[in-house]
Amino acid sequence: MSGATPSTARRAVRAVGLVLLLALLLAVPALLDSAYWLDLAVMVLVWAALASAWNISAGYAGGLSLGHAAFFGVGAYTAVLLFNELGVSPWLGMLVGAVLAGLLGALLGVITFRLKGPFFVLATLAFGFVVHILAVNWRGLTRGAAGLTLPFDGGPQNMLFADLSTYWYVGLGLVALVLGVSLWIERSRLGYYLVALREDEDAARSLGVRVVGCKVIAAAISAALTAVAGTFYATFIQYIDPASTTQFELSVQIALVAIVGGMGTALGPLLGAVIVIPLGEVLRASLGGGPALAVYGLLLVVIVLTAPNGLIAGLRRVGRRVGVATGVVR
Amino acid sequence: MPLDLTLQILTSGLLLGGLYALLAVGLTLIFGVLRVVNFAHAEFMMLGMFGAYWLWALWGIDPYLSIFIVVPGVFLLGVLTDRLVIQRSIGAPEVTVVFATLGVSIFLQNAALTAWSADIRSVTTPYGSAVVELGSVRISVPMLVSFVVALAFATGLWLFLNRTMFGKAIQAVAQNRDAAALMGIDVGRVYLVTYSVAVAAAGAMGVLIAPLFSVYPRVGLSYIVTVFVIVVLGGLGSVVGAVIAALLVGVIESVVGFLLGTAWAELAYFLVFLAVLVVRPQGLLGRRGAEVYQ
Repeated sequence: MSGATPSTARRAVRAVGLVLLLALLLAVPALLDSAYWLDLAVMVLVWAALASAWNISAGYAGGLSLGHAAFFGVGAYTAVLLFNELGVSPWLGMLVGAVLAGLLGALLGVITFRLKGPFFVLATLAFGFVVHILAVNWRGLTRGAAGLTLPFDGGPQNMLFADLSTYWYVGLGLVALVLGVSLWIERSRLGYYLVALREDEDAARSLGVRVVGCKVIAAAISAALTAVAGTFYATFIQYIDPASTTQFELSVQIALVAIVGGMGTALGPLLGAVIVIPLGEVLRASLGGGPALAVYGLLLVVIVLTAPNGLIAGLRRVGRRVGVATGVVR
Repeated sequence: MPLDLTLQILTSGLLLGGLYALLAVGLTLIFGVLRVVNFAHAEFMMLGMFGAYWLWALWGIDPYLSIFIVVPGVFLLGVLTDRLVIQRSIGAPEVTVVFATLGVSIFLQNAALTAWSADIRSVTTPYGSAVVELGSVRISVPMLVSFVVALAFATGLWLFLNRTMFGKAIQAVAQNRDAAALMGIDVGRVYLVTYSVAVAAAGAMGVLIAPLFSVYPRVGLSYIVTVFVIVVLGGLGSVVGAVIAALLVGVIESVVGFLLGTAWAELAYFLVFLAVLVVRPQGLLGRRGAEVYQ
């Protein structure tokens, strides 16, 4: 993955690997024949999408947000309310939610672009709390802590599927969308601008980068994609309440997954979801919720202190060593 | 609103603000000196509450006595946290500085949940609901005690920072870490003392409010966010600002809470908080430029 020209052998290894990975992903519903594990696998996809979307504004643009649950909640509530109150299909509701969250993300971007470090973090945290308080207390709209349910017999035209494997494939599509946007940003002019302003805002500005515009666009894209994941989550679980969609802990976990995997890279957040979510579930099942979250806390501390670039950086080093040992990479 | 009621609400607000001040002063000091936002701050308060609870439940020790056992305990935990986590994150990338203390917070909360379950527990003391009457205003005795302790601590801290050599060393580190180190100040020791004293104050608050409020592992969350609002309002790093902002937020919470209900009071100060961050990020009393994060 370094700047060296990829050799033919390396390219071939990559292509074969990619095909195998794709085949494996498509075969997951057949391989995991228990509903429990397939359910967990779909949740891994939800978290992969969330962490990736967070990474667009936090990893590339450097705005460490602790308020992304707000956008997740907007996506979930918009689609569910539109469907329950007006009969609008969640496929359409998803788009409405994404636009709404995108606008909110842009607004938050506009009011926070000057803030740095902890001040930005605290502003996003406060924003998340505002949305959470509204979700809990605006009972006329959200029914507060009682939550909202989606009917079970909606059908595919309403993003409500009879079997888990369809959710898996739709979830794969969601992750592909977020990954695609991430890769596109990484390779686009916007991506370079974002990395430049993350590393040195003043230098980037002096070179003519429109700092505010770039930050606002990144925030809006990140928020919109987070909302899309929110809609998908809502149609998958078919029940939403503030505790599961807008709570502060959710914002923390989104960041945690991305950081553990490796922020600032397209694949890091996906790796984070694949490792953190099953780990959490296994710990929860064997030890209980308290110990599982205590391990999350410990994991977060250890990762940020010893490997702030996340597990993907370590994995790349190992991959390189294997490549050198087998002669694929010089 | 009748005068009696107004006075009562204002008094309750000021007393509540006093409680917040004890947390806010430590949090703002840690930020000013170490440039670290201590997300784990209220967890040390939670541990102080549990310390008071268990000493009372197991051996019947009154919180006003057990404070002399619990606070040194929390201080030592602060030393440990500083050595293991905080000092290692100084100078590291921003993500490390922000998320290391958040990780500590998640760990402590859930370690407490694992050890003591989510049960809501309370300490019952003979004076828990004692009240003194000042004219028509009724004042809770334990609230008054914690208010006095909070102000005494803030005053003592201010004197310590301004009248002692070590206090001045702390201020020097807050102004410029590298220059302070060149002047022969042991920066590591300054960090250690600052962090441990600040979290010990949070532990002390935990003990003091144990006779008043129930304790459970997630109790810190309801305080920490309010205290963030306070320290930003007061200007991150400013001890005097933190005290004034704490009293102000206590009064706002009390008044708006009475008029509109607690949920809307919370919403109100988050919006005020966002507005302050946008318009005047150095806070109402903070030094200009304090928001420039290095």
